[in-house]
Amino acid sequence: MFGKLLSTLLISFHLFAILCVSFSEENPTDRRVLVLLEDFAIKSSHSLFFKSLETRGFDLDFKLADDPKLALQRYGKYLYDAVILFSPTIDRFGGSIDAASLLEFVDSGHDLILAADASASELIREIAVECGVDFDEDPAALVIDHMSYAVSETEEDHTLIASDDFIQSEVILGSTKIEAPVLFKGIGHSINPANNLVLTVLSASPAAYSANPKSKLSNPPTLTGSAISLVSIVQARNNARILISGSLSMFSNRFFRSGVQKAGTTSKHEKCGNEQFLTELSKWVFHESGHLKAVNVKHHKVGEKDEPSMYRIKDDLDYSVEVYEWSGTSWEPYLADDLQVQFYMMSPYVLKTLSTDQKGLYYTSFKVPDVYGVFQFKVEYQRLGYTSLSLSKQIPVRPFRHNEYERFIPAAYPYYGASFSMMSGFFIFTMVYLYTK
Amino acid sequence: MGRSTTTTTTKDAQALFHSLRTAYVATPTNLKIIDLYIVFAIVTALIQGVYMALVGSFPFNSFLSGVLSCVGTAVLAVCLRIQVNKENKEFKDLPPERAFADFVLCNLVLHLVIMNFLG
Repeated sequence: MFGKLLSTLLISFHLFAILCVSFSEENPTDRRVLVLLEDFAIKSSHSLFFKSLETRGFDLDFKLADDPKLALQRYGKYLYDAVILFSPTIDRFGGSIDAASLLEFVDSGHDLILAADASASELIREIAVECGVDFDEDPAALVIDHMSYAVSETEEDHTLIASDDFIQSEVILGSTKIEAPVLFKGIGHSINPANNLVLTVLSASPAAYSANPKSKLSNPPTLTGSAISLVSIVQARNNARILISGSLSMFSNRFFRSGVQKAGTTSKHEKCGNEQFLTELSKWVFHESGHLKAVNVKHHKVGEKDEPSMYRIKDDLDYSVEVYEWSGTSWEPYLADDLQVQFYMMSPYVLKTLSTDQKGLYYTSFKVPDVYGVFQFKVEYQRLGYTSLSLSKQIPVRPFRHNEYERFIPAAYPYYGASFSMMSGFFIFTMVYLYTK
Repeated sequence: MGRSTTTTTTKDAQALFHSLRTAYVATPTNLKIIDLYIVFAIVTALIQGVYMALVGSFPFNSFLSGVLSCVGTAVLAVCLRIQVNKENKEFKDLPPERAFADFVLCNLVLHLVIMNFLG
């Protein structure tokens, strides 16, 4: 009995330790990931992708999508930091998960990877629409490309396409260039160009179109050309990241291992770019790259150290902020030369580019403008692939006190001189007048 | 006919200046000292006026203070000259020392005001 007590104590201690290592501000990479599958065969057919996640330290929790015991949160706290939805034909989730709870999960700052495929269900399409991505309405449509398909012996209907129209971003896709094209077989989607939170990571070639490969084409297809996105990312304003892909099979081991030859080219790659592409993307989605934090906003008068509660017009002040980038394991100094600070009241009166000491400290100094009121030090930084920085610190600015004006006005020196010369002239005159006969 | 009138006007002007100058030489020395003092004050006032026209009237209080000190000094000196002039019938019974004492006191008040208004 004593042994039982000891063992329960030990287990609960370990559980506490595990809970403390989860998602936190200090460590922005997600830790606990819920993977929703339609059947567990996907777990083994996509094992390379899951393995790559597990070796990077993620705790994957595999569940069937209609498991009645599914729950995202318990007693108001979320059990997971991210969700991978690999169940494209699910009509209803089990347990307490539904479209609304998933969207609430994302709204609270958590990440999501969503993979649709041929015959994607209404539920999956609905979730995608809420995230800003519109899949093709025709349920039987696939992306077909008769010019950039992948040459293969088995599939002749050109639905297996090889695409290399990547987004140009080292933050999202890593610093090594992806040499081989990426194999894709699934449905296409379009994004609203007015929405600046959604980006297409992999788009189809201009010759692609989205239609049912088995039936004859009666009307021109609605989704054509480069407007078809194959894989898209969304970065919400609260920095939650979503990856939406139109193909579940592009994550599979079969595609990872296969070689690729794009139709019309002679170069044959031994291994297609899927593994590198998706590994880098998953690093981005789970906040292992492109995550910034800005700390230690400081401002003070030149020559002083303390932050004053109020500035006076025409004061000289120094402003500094430290920006770090999460490298996956530690915070590294963020290096950029386009970070700007505004001294803002209804419109920026001063806009200065911050200089850096290469160790994460960004600083500048400027003169307070000749306007009084309540100003803000604003830093607004949105760059492709990086979390957005939006800092703001309020400070009032007062006019001169009556004894802070200059004592002697240089433009009035002739008048001062004239008055004093009159006084001395009067004095000399009295002397002269009294003492001449 | 026209030529003779112009020559007569110039001759008249010259005669006028000559008589003025000879009359002025005859004035007593103390009055000439006061006249010199007045000229100094007016010239200073004119210099300040020209400066204001060039640069603008930014510290207007300083400008007024400077100009009014010159003009006030000139006015007080003119009053002294009137009261001290022996040919003036009106102030025959006023002792010149009294006039001078008034002049000094008024100047003290003037300069006090000027210093305050100068800024």
